[in-house]
Amino acid sequence: MADVGDHNKIQLLKDLLYSEAQEHGSESRMFSQKDLTDLGVVPPGDPALLLKIIQGLCDDKLFVGVNSPTGIAWRWRNKEDAKKYTSLPNDETMMVYAIIDEAGADGIWNRTIKHKLNMHESVVKNCIKYLETKGYIASMKNVEHPNKKMYIKANLRPSDRATGGPWFTDGELDTAFIEMLEGIVFEYIKTRSAYLGSQPAPRGDASRLKAPKKGVIKGSVPDGETAPRGVKRAATDISNDDVAVPVNGDPIHPAAASSRSKGKIYYPLPAGYRQYPTVSEIAQLIHQTGITNNTTLSEADIQQLVDGLYYDGLIEPVKVNNRRGYRVTRPKKQDTVPFDKRQKDREAGVIDRMGVETTGNGLTETPCGRCPVFDLCEEGGPVSPSNCVYFVQWLDVEDAAPAVKPTGSIAV
Amino acid sequence: MQVTQNVAELCSLLIDELHGELPSRIFRALLSRGRATLPQLCQYTGMSALQLRHGVAVLLQHNLLYYQIDDGHAMYEANAEFAYNLVRTGKILEMIETSFGPPAKDVMQSLLASGQTRVADLVAAYQEKINHLNSAMQQDDDEDFPDLKANGVNGHPHAAKKCDPMVKSTAQLNSIICRLVEAELIDVVHSKTFQSQPDVVKALEKEVTDKHFPGGVKGGRGKIEFQEKMAEALRKVRSESKSLKRKLEQNGTAAKRRKLFAGVAAANGTNGTTNGVHDEELDPALDPKQVIRINYEKCLVDLRNRRLVHFVSETIGDATSHVYGVLLRLLTKQLPRCRLDPSMDVNQDGEAVDAEPKAVTTAQILDNLKTAVDLSLGIGKTAMKEISSKSAEKISEFPPKPKLFIAEAEVDGEASADESDEGSSSDESGYDSDFKNQPASATNGTKVTFADGDDNPWQRMGRPGQLRQHLLLLAESNQHFVRHCGHDEWTVDFEPLMRTLREAELDAVIERTSGRQGLRLVRILRANGKLDEKALMNVALMRKAEVQQKVVQMQKAGFVQIQEVPRDNKSDVKKSFFLWFCDVDKSYIKLADNSYKSMIRCLQVLEVLRQKEKDVLMLTRRTDVKGREKDVMRKEYYDRYSRFQENERKLFAQVMRLDDFIALVRDF
Repeated sequence: MADVGDHNKIQLLKDLLYSEAQEHGSESRMFSQKDLTDLGVVPPGDPALLLKIIQGLCDDKLFVGVNSPTGIAWRWRNKEDAKKYTSLPNDETMMVYAIIDEAGADGIWNRTIKHKLNMHESVVKNCIKYLETKGYIASMKNVEHPNKKMYIKANLRPSDRATGGPWFTDGELDTAFIEMLEGIVFEYIKTRSAYLGSQPAPRGDASRLKAPKKGVIKGSVPDGETAPRGVKRAATDISNDDVAVPVNGDPIHPAAASSRSKGKIYYPLPAGYRQYPTVSEIAQLIHQTGITNNTTLSEADIQQLVDGLYYDGLIEPVKVNNRRGYRVTRPKKQDTVPFDKRQKDREAGVIDRMGVETTGNGLTETPCGRCPVFDLCEEGGPVSPSNCVYFVQWLDVEDAAPAVKPTGSIAV
Repeated sequence: MQVTQNVAELCSLLIDELHGELPSRIFRALLSRGRATLPQLCQYTGMSALQLRHGVAVLLQHNLLYYQIDDGHAMYEANAEFAYNLVRTGKILEMIETSFGPPAKDVMQSLLASGQTRVADLVAAYQEKINHLNSAMQQDDDEDFPDLKANGVNGHPHAAKKCDPMVKSTAQLNSIICRLVEAELIDVVHSKTFQSQPDVVKALEKEVTDKHFPGGVKGGRGKIEFQEKMAEALRKVRSESKSLKRKLEQNGTAAKRRKLFAGVAAANGTNGTTNGVHDEELDPALDPKQVIRINYEKCLVDLRNRRLVHFVSETIGDATSHVYGVLLRLLTKQLPRCRLDPSMDVNQDGEAVDAEPKAVTTAQILDNLKTAVDLSLGIGKTAMKEISSKSAEKISEFPPKPKLFIAEAEVDGEASADESDEGSSSDESGYDSDFKNQPASATNGTKVTFADGDDNPWQRMGRPGQLRQHLLLLAESNQHFVRHCGHDEWTVDFEPLMRTLREAELDAVIERTSGRQGLRLVRILRANGKLDEKALMNVALMRKAEVQQKVVQMQKAGFVQIQEVPRDNKSDVKKSFFLWFCDVDKSYIKLADNSYKSMIRCLQVLEVLRQKEKDVLMLTRRTDVKGREKDVMRKEYYDRYSRFQENERKLFAQVMRLDDFIALVRDF
């Protein structure tokens, strides 16, 4: 009789301790023996009773013993999970489930399970199969180890480390998404860190000529053409000029030249400008516009994007007082057509380059600079200056040398 | 200068191009065999002594050889540096023309074409030419007169024809030479000019030991003292070539020089009108026996200035680049060379000797800036309240300390240790809260006031104010074009700046050859040091396959390097870490060598073209055809000729541009 009473008493105390522990912290909180004593369920002088209660709770899978830095401690587990444990048919399955449970959102590799439990492979396999059919666990993919078979508790979402964060979709780096965002970020920085003004003078001789004063120009517009104030010629003239007379031998692509909108040009902002966009502003913009409809990007993620652009040489950090902003590099060469106007081109599949390409130099523009057989080239060898097809192409010498036509061609 | 196979070949090709095959063959033999006497040369080249003497004379005339006389036998040694400098002929002439006017260019051209010359010879040559022209003009016969010796130079052989002579009198010639000497672009030849640097050092070492350390150099202190004495002696030898300049300055020409400068500025671009006889008379006549030559070191300084100005106009804008040009001109007036020589210009602590802190004031720049430059252009306009003058006007008194990694601090995180030390004053905190109150509006550019009218503060600022704005912009730039070293004082730290410029050039090459992704990877490595593939992937936000493909491709090209770090001492390859890193100096060496080779190829292709068009070129060499090819030659022949000329121009231009790169990575 006393035994039954005792049993009831312990059952009561178990329930009480469990609910008290739940009151005092989340599932991840670790309770030491002292913590549990201090809950006031068990009188302080009776550790044996406490032990009994804890043992009972552990048997019910409601408490989990863990090793904490200060010694052994316990966490509580919710009743549904505990039920899952108790419903498992045997100890092996329970152990496998426990180890997967412990791995949490990172998931665990099946070989690691085998290793840790020191069980035979077929046993582990069986357990996993059973758990999978029951819907307790699910297999998952980890971007860091795409070839490893990993398992995770079915009701958890894989952690950022496992999925690779917001940049990954289905375990693959989502380059299209990244590129699109980079484009937006770059456009935002470009328009906010440079001043869009009118072009002062034809570019070709701007270095020599005095830029005309604004008032004077009106009279000099040819054929009564109505040009905007402060623009001497229409943009088409200017871009034609650029193609015909490459400045310092830098051929400007016709496409790039025509993408300039009418006589507009970006100017750098004066030193000490305070409003260069910062990462948090960019993050705010992305958040407000909601372009990333189901992915939330933290500031650190945006920082990663911005760093990428910096490494591309498209933007540079500026520090004004203690504010770190970003500004576009080489503003005067930037494309001035607004972002939305270029949407059509993008849809038509025209490659939308961010920013400007760096100007080439002698090395990259000589045929030798891009020659695939440069290292072999030697007078008297199979490839030599006297039979070089690339130079023939480049110089446009008509009656080409009777050399073998190369398969690839170089665009210079 | 390190002479690699490609450099040697290039030098002999250049000499062949400018001075003919004979000197070129001798030079090639000297480069490949080291220093040699005449009989040895006979053996190496299989030429007769007479031929060799002719060739050596030409080479000596152009300072392309060093010689040393031992026991009555002259040993000759190739001077590869000067041989390489031949490629810069055109650039130097162009530079002289824009900064000193066409007559000065003409004088320089004759000097380049005839090598080192006595002043008297130069004057005589010009006198003859002037006489000839005068008589020719009297006869009203403009047909065929020799246009100096510049014919062979790849300039424009017809420049001097059918127009007024560039130099009208010997007095003008004298004044031009004086001016060039004062600018250090011309210096004098002295006995040590023909000794190679190691020879000079050896002779001086002996001299110093005999004089100051008869008992030998002993102890650490003795060594330091010896080095100091050596540096001093070396500096003395070097300054010998500046003797003419000093003499000119002794004659109290400072005031006159200013006058001349004003004259030059006025004459610039206006088809070389003379400065008036008055000024020329003031110049002291030069010693006719003085032998003069071009000072390439100083020319390089000016070429570097031009390069920097171009860089600024690329990155910031034209108006700013004009300001920068003036600033650089003022700053480098007294700068004899681009790089300090570690054996004489640097003391024990690695600091430059007698480097008085140079700075230029805003007022000086304003005084020298051409009035045609409109300073109100080139910088965007904003409301004054959006400018933090405290940050813009920040004065940094000392040059920046070299950083191991570029922009390391700037890249990572929001705030790193060295940023917080600037202290946030109440002004800033006020500003910060201020900013948070007004949320960032999503519309583009609304914060910038588009005030083009007269009421904008930009116009009210006046020219000095505008000038200051340009200078501040330069100082704020990430490249640190200018350092604001005191109130209204500006200076340039060339060394870090050139490093940045070199990196920018390297980036351009990488972007062109490996694409933007390649550039991204290289810049990540440069900013972060050594990284393994996984880290590289994460930072670059690129796929594994892409990263692998790109880095391997770039490793082949010499832009990135790889290092294997074993995990334990078993050094199992499978377990090793593989770290990628980027050694810019290696990249420069590799690219420079590629450039040399490309230059060789350009010249060789030109030779191939010449062979192909041999018959046409033979025709043009006839005296009755020369100078009026278009009228005399048949159309198809003339077409071929003009096409050849066009190709020649293209190839030479390309060689020059390749030299731009070499100059940047090697000399600037």
